[in-house]
Amino acid sequence: MNMFSSLMLASLSVLTLPIMSSILNTHKNSTYPHHVKNIISYAFITSLIPTMMFIHSGQETIISNWHWMTIQTLKLSLSFKLDYFSMIFVPVALFVTWSIMEFSLWYMHSDPYITRFFKYLLTFLITMMILVTANNLFQLFIGWEGVGIMSFLLIGWWYGRTDANTAALQAILYNRIGDIGFIMAMAWFLFNTNTWDLQQIFMLDPNLTNLPLLGLLLAATGKSAQFGLHPWLPSAMEGPTPVSALLHSSTMVVAGVFLLIRFHPLMENNKTIQSLTLCLGAITTLFTAICALTQNDIKKIIAFSTSSQLGLMIVTIGINQPYLAFLHICTHAFFKAMLFMCSGSIIHSLNDEQDIRKMGGLFNAMPFTTTSLIIGSLALTGMPFLTGFYSKDLIIETANTSYTNAWALLMTLIATSLTAVYSTRIIFFALLGQPRFLPLTTINENNPFLINSIKRLLIGSIFAGFFISNNIYPTTIPEMTMPIYMKLTALTVTILGFTLALELSLITHNLKPEHPTNMFKFSNLLGYYPTIMHRLPPLANLSMSQKSASLLLDSIWLENILPKSISQFQMKTSILISTQKGQIKLYFLSFLITLTLSMLLFNLHE
Amino acid sequence: MSLAHINIFLAFTVSLVGLLMYRSHLMSSLLCLEGMMLSLFVMATMVVLNTHFTLASMMPIILLVFAACERALGLSLLVMVSNTYGVDHVQNLNLLQC
Repeated sequence: MNMFSSLMLASLSVLTLPIMSSILNTHKNSTYPHHVKNIISYAFITSLIPTMMFIHSGQETIISNWHWMTIQTLKLSLSFKLDYFSMIFVPVALFVTWSIMEFSLWYMHSDPYITRFFKYLLTFLITMMILVTANNLFQLFIGWEGVGIMSFLLIGWWYGRTDANTAALQAILYNRIGDIGFIMAMAWFLFNTNTWDLQQIFMLDPNLTNLPLLGLLLAATGKSAQFGLHPWLPSAMEGPTPVSALLHSSTMVVAGVFLLIRFHPLMENNKTIQSLTLCLGAITTLFTAICALTQNDIKKIIAFSTSSQLGLMIVTIGINQPYLAFLHICTHAFFKAMLFMCSGSIIHSLNDEQDIRKMGGLFNAMPFTTTSLIIGSLALTGMPFLTGFYSKDLIIETANTSYTNAWALLMTLIATSLTAVYSTRIIFFALLGQPRFLPLTTINENNPFLINSIKRLLIGSIFAGFFISNNIYPTTIPEMTMPIYMKLTALTVTILGFTLALELSLITHNLKPEHPTNMFKFSNLLGYYPTIMHRLPPLANLSMSQKSASLLLDSIWLENILPKSISQFQMKTSILISTQKGQIKLYFLSFLITLTLSMLLFNLHE
Repeated sequence: MSLAHINIFLAFTVSLVGLLMYRSHLMSSLLCLEGMMLSLFVMATMVVLNTHFTLASMMPIILLVFAACERALGLSLLVMVSNTYGVDHVQNLNLLQC
């Protein structure tokens, strides 16, 4: 009997304290954001203890405390599943959120509603924790919807801006389409396994799991912005940078991948769904990497980078390696959040300038941000022995040595090299060269909040991969022996990408300006996907429904078929064939004469 | 044929000739149409009453009803013409507009 469950529940419940303090109205004072940040750091430290206990002894716990309701044979209760995935994810998420909260103390300093902002971020964190520690699908769905709602509220933070409102609405709509799949899976599980508890579902091991796994795949496509439901993620960059760092790089968008990882016992046995997942992830990672190549907004490039890495995680699930995907989730959180924070620092320093064509020469002006940006990009591309290497390189190696779809593998490798290309593009345009911003600058990175938060994530980006992968217990055995060229594939394509991008970028010093080619336009306009899909299907749907509702029954059937068609026909034919001149008296007279003549003839005939 | 029948038949014929030959007013042909209807009604009633054909005594009443409808139709046409031209001269009806 140890303090495992108590400490974990304590660390989760201290997060709810600042929300409840709004009853006492202490949330109106100006130190509320500091309280929130401190509470998250305490929760992080508290949650480290159960995690270390878990690493030491491998103890997994399920806490099932409050029986909510029983509907005929379905028992719903509040239950927390503290297993490998949630025990490692909770400290990572809390650490990243702690750093982001400290960062947003600097970034949102002049915002009058900063306390509300922190409350929203905290509510988001609570719902995310509910999602990862959920033991039944109902609680998971509560967390799922919760993160969706908070994402809407936070993307539309600056609600006076039309683009922000449409982006928030777009996020909700795309997530909703994914939720259809989630609810379909829930319904299937209810019908066929009579429960929403994960333990019972895995124990029963149903045979034909195509339908629910398709539903879960659709849910992951919606939440994690896979191809088909991806446009909301770049649009979500309308929100403030801390929101982008927390939600749309580390935490919310991995919820879809997390869901698929939770269901890995079912996915192991279903080859069809694995192939589908693999192809979907491969398409996503390549497509979004292509789109990232020509964007001009620094946050959009990093958003597409997130989308590409999410595609990589889905690919990993598709080759039946859920633990590697989870490792990539944890390591990706560190450097992606740090990349967003560096971009936030650059944006604020250049007086809210987000276009990389108007940045430059920050290498000397902002040394700390430059350092962290470069280290973050190197970690992203998988430079050996930084954080990203431990997960990304393992993924590429496993994909290379497994019996898998060659086309998906090729796409993933190309996307890996494109990762290096757009990272080089960011570094080249934002940091190197001569300054392209206005001379009167407000470049300042002296605030301790900024420095400390980025420094913490910097140390995480360098060491976390090593630290985590040395302390977890072995799950699936990675492939140990492979030819040397396969081992070095990831490294080779990355170095290839770097050199190519650097060469191309240096050439742009000497080129004359040209018209954009078709490939450039394809990449810049996101593959024309939003342009087509946001206009054509809604127009077709609405016009078809309007025509069938009003025209089909009312005007065609009731009006046009018999009455009006007869009158039209008659008018046309009478105009066509009549030669009348309206000489009525003549017609009457001729009628009379005919009548008289005929009567005379018939009577006097004899 | 008895004299009464010939009398009514003559009334009918005079109205018919009046319907088919008129000078300029449409109203006069409508009036003669009414005269035809009236003589038909009288003729029918006389025959039915003389032959005690009780079952057919509906026929003159129904004839009268239909004649009333037809009267209404004819008068409405007259009113339409009169609305357009002011008088109901037949020579005005020379534009076949559909």
